[in-house]
Amino acid sequence: MRTISRTDRSRDAVRCTTMTESGPYNYSYIFKYIIIGDMGVGKSCLLHQFTEKKFMSDCPHTIGVEFGTRIIEVAGQKIKLQIWDTAGQERFRAVTRSYYRGAAGALMVYDVTRRSTYNHLSSWLTDARNLTNPNTVIFLIGNKSDLEAQREVPYEEAKQFADENGLMFLECSAKTGDRVEDAFLETARKIYQNIQDGNLDLNAAESGVQHKPQTQNTLLGNIQDKKESCNC
Amino acid sequence: METLLEDFISDEDLKTCEKLYNDELRRGIRNPKTKFDYAWCLIRSRYPADTRKGVLFMEDLFKNGDESARRDYVYYLAFGKCKLKEYSSANRYIKAFLEIEPSNRQAKELQEVIQKRITREGLAGAAIAGGIVAVVVGTAFALLKK
Ligand SMILES: Nc1nc2c(ncn2[C@@H]2O[C@H](COP(=O)(O)OP(=O)(O)OP(=O)(O)O)[C@@H](O)[C@H]2O)c(=O)[nH]1
Ligand SMILES: [Mg+2]
Repeated sequence: MRTISRTDRSRDAVRCTTMTESGPYNYSYIFKYIIIGDMGVGKSCLLHQFTEKKFMSDCPHTIGVEFGTRIIEVAGQKIKLQIWDTAGQERFRAVTRSYYRGAAGALMVYDVTRRSTYNHLSSWLTDARNLTNPNTVIFLIGNKSDLEAQREVPYEEAKQFADENGLMFLECSAKTGDRVEDAFLETARKIYQNIQDGNLDLNAAESGVQHKPQTQNTLLGNIQDKKESCNC
Repeated sequence: METLLEDFISDEDLKTCEKLYNDELRRGIRNPKTKFDYAWCLIRSRYPADTRKGVLFMEDLFKNGDESARRDYVYYLAFGKCKLKEYSSANRYIKAFLEIEPSNRQAKELQEVIQKRITREGLAGAAIAGGIVAVVVGTAFALLKK
């Protein structure tokens, strides 16, 4: 959490991330997310689709970790998502684990066209459970739903796995953008719900949530509203 | 990218990595993987002395480490040098990387930051880089290309 407050002070922190942001202080909460899953399942594409609304067709393997942010709105509250996209390649596994701590949301991704990526979910889930806190919202994502002809994992099977393990679940496509927003937003809604229900201690560094008092800058707020509405 | 450059590893995680590395060392095991993990942790430290040590480890890995991980080493060399504000050598590493993977987004973002900082700080720090880097980068070009 120390890290997060630091980056907020840095005036460049927001620059390279998303078009929908207009100022670093224009939100009342910060949620930290991590994206995990095997290499090549489309984690970076999902992040890019969510922050830039674009698909990268030729995407190199992530080295270590990537980062992106976007401000969203839940129940009339502006929330800044700080998203850590980890590398799926085995050789980064040890170090990417250090990014799990203090995540409010964990997006656990597999590729519906590659069963092996689905089979590895239990090991990703073990890591996620062991390294985050009990209130971390874990969202299972079956990506590449556009490739129906190559599908290897049926929807029902994954849905059952999700239900058995108490995970939220949907299938989406980073390529077409279908349901990508939903995955990020539903996670945020669930976290927000946990806050409202008093399940999350906002003072604990591990909660992955920071509360920011709303600042005076209404002008930026208005600009942002406009920008966001034309993106929908 | 600026966020990544200012994201510091916790002392606890750094200690864990250090212990793993030292344990293997004591048992005479030389595993480039463990060394890479430790080097990466060191580079992510809040203390420049650690980052400097991490960069030295990466340089060593580049010469003696795992061949298939070379691109990672070069990327983190650029990253580490950038953290240490040695922008001109950081720039040379990232250029070497981009020679091989010209469209790598992560590398391009890092290069953007490096170049912006070079412009901001003037060329003051440029001379510090020195000879070693030139040699290492020279080899980087040669090795990555094969
Ligand atoms: N058809 C289709 N292809 C996709 C989709 N999402 C990602 N891809 C492709 O899958 C490949 C891997 O995507 P990445 O986002 O780099 O995968 P990653 O999970 O970040 O991989 P690592 O960084 O190695 O962990 C890329 O070539 C993408 O173009 C999708 O929804 N549909
Ligand atoms: Mg990736």
